[in-house]
Amino acid sequence: MEKDININFFKPVGEFMTRDVKMKRLIIAIWAVFTYGFLLLLKLVAEPESTVEVTLSTGEVITQVSGKSFLTETQFLGFPFHYWYSAQFLILLFIFLCWWYCKFIDKLEAEFSSK
Amino acid sequence: MKRMLQWGLSLYFVLVAGNVFAKENLSLNEGEVRVFPAILMISLLILFILVGVFSKAKDTEDYWAAGRGVGQLGGGMAIASNWMSAASYLGMAGLIYLKGYSAMAYIVGWTGGYVLLLVLMAGQIRRYGKYTAPDFVGDRYYSTAARLMSALIVILISFVYAVGQYKGIGMMFNWIFGINYELSVIIGTGVVLAYVLISGMLGATKNMQVQYVVIVITFFLPLFFIANKLGYFSAVPQIGYGAAVWDIGHGGNGISAAAADPSFYLPFANNTAYHWFALCITLMLGTAGLPHVIGRFYLVPRVSDARWQVVWGLFCIALVYWTAPCYAAFAKFSNIAGVTGVTISPDAIVVNAAELAGLPQWFSGFLAAGGVSAAFSTVGGLLMAGSSAFAHDIYFRVLKPNATEESKMKVARGGTIILGVAIAVIAMNPPAFIAQITAVAFALGANTFFPMFLLGIWWSRTTKEAAIVGMIVGMTVTFGSMLAPKTSLFAYYVPFTSSAILGVPLVLTTMIIVSLLTKEPSAEIKELLYRVHNDEA
Repeated sequence: MEKDININFFKPVGEFMTRDVKMKRLIIAIWAVFTYGFLLLLKLVAEPESTVEVTLSTGEVITQVSGKSFLTETQFLGFPFHYWYSAQFLILLFIFLCWWYCKFIDKLEAEFSSK
Repeated sequence: MKRMLQWGLSLYFVLVAGNVFAKENLSLNEGEVRVFPAILMISLLILFILVGVFSKAKDTEDYWAAGRGVGQLGGGMAIASNWMSAASYLGMAGLIYLKGYSAMAYIVGWTGGYVLLLVLMAGQIRRYGKYTAPDFVGDRYYSTAARLMSALIVILISFVYAVGQYKGIGMMFNWIFGINYELSVIIGTGVVLAYVLISGMLGATKNMQVQYVVIVITFFLPLFFIANKLGYFSAVPQIGYGAAVWDIGHGGNGISAAAADPSFYLPFANNTAYHWFALCITLMLGTAGLPHVIGRFYLVPRVSDARWQVVWGLFCIALVYWTAPCYAAFAKFSNIAGVTGVTISPDAIVVNAAELAGLPQWFSGFLAAGGVSAAFSTVGGLLMAGSSAFAHDIYFRVLKPNATEESKMKVARGGTIILGVAIAVIAMNPPAFIAQITAVAFALGANTFFPMFLLGIWWSRTTKEAAIVGMIVGMTVTFGSMLAPKTSLFAYYVPFTSSAILGVPLVLTTMIIVSLLTKEPSAEIKELLYRVHNDEA
């Protein structure tokens, strides 16, 4: 090793790691937006007049939106859309993301081992 | 070992005294032996033990790392069956049945974590090339104290996790054989210990593949008949149940609009968006920090295989996760449609769903036997992880570095027995629903191992002091959330199943601050990390 090298996710060193980290960021960004962005979306588009009472663990009873919206009232394959999205589509997306990353990194490794 | 027992016991008593958890119905069957299910269950148990015997471990190397020669799909199936416990098979459907869409956080959380695990850790951990999680911690953080602490945490995680599995085994044995719940737990313990001790992990890996096949067949088969009986698209019930979810919420197929229960599908009818997020992220980060899952990456010969194993593992898991909510929906549907005469317990809702649909008993028997298989495969892996943390990381690495193979093996086996029995004691009086108990184990993994691996791999400046302080903070948050009175504001924002929502940011911040205040790690550690990230060797 030439000199003192610091490893930091935000400051990758070496070409291999730089390209690898770039891909990782992309995958994590997609993962976060599709999982938690959708949750936020459900909350944002919820019809304000459809409310429910929820008893909190503290014993307090609050009134909040039920989350009813075009996302929950549209039928897709028989499902309420949001239910299908969480129960089936997200898992499929996770598999795809893993598959995509594995393809990418295998190619990157092959490229570097032939150098 | 003794200390560990004391830990577990005192933790348990504090939890019970704090009345954190609700009581529920554990006995589903009083005294009736169900013949077909009993025969099926006994044949499966004999099969597992035979598979274990025929792939018996030869020496310690085998006992821990299964000879490092497991193929991709085989490895994926082993990951999946190791992963899919009673919590996936029985527990998840139970909570969806109770809480509808709110419990979907379990489905998303327990699959989405694999993306993080793959992208952030799998390849790097395999390149690092160690046997166990504490091995990694001990080397990366150049500290015996850190190694010891992490070994203790591995044992704690295995312990908590396995309590939920024993509960599943106990309830299913009760349903099948009609013997009481406590006796069921004792018998289950005996059988699990027998096959783990005989076979070791090589046997366990083979067993896991066999168990995966059993899990999938038993989980899929009854569903076609349930869907058909209830009048839903039964060729692919995983699609067909969607209409049942719709009907539960809106009325239809014999349910009047007045009887419909919209809280089953509406996203925020049972809980807040914050709690959905907190639970989901805890389970995801826990997945990426669970020692017995991380441990499986050492079993493959090449880095690329380690990564592809994640893809295969996730696919094998997905087959079951796409299916679990079907049982919740069909049980809920029958329930609203007014079927009576079945003793229901949320943690047995998968078995109940077949009973509620009015199918012959052997369908439910299939599901009960599959539930036990799921619990067995996970308990096997957990006992191995826990006992090897003791024998390898504590006994061999710290207490007696010159121990012989033979004495290591003996200690590993002794550890397995003590751990197995201690878990059974706690499981006699289970503290929560199966999926919730399991979630606590994930929270513990997320609060301790996840930050340690994340920073350890991705920031070379992280010091040993930071790792030690981080583990202490992580454990404090996890157990604090369990001990906090249920109605307190703290327990509201940091539920015991979701404590990583506070734990992970807090531990990461603490570790970064402590690292910057303490002496930089040596050049050797940095060099090692450079190699872990760059495929140049």
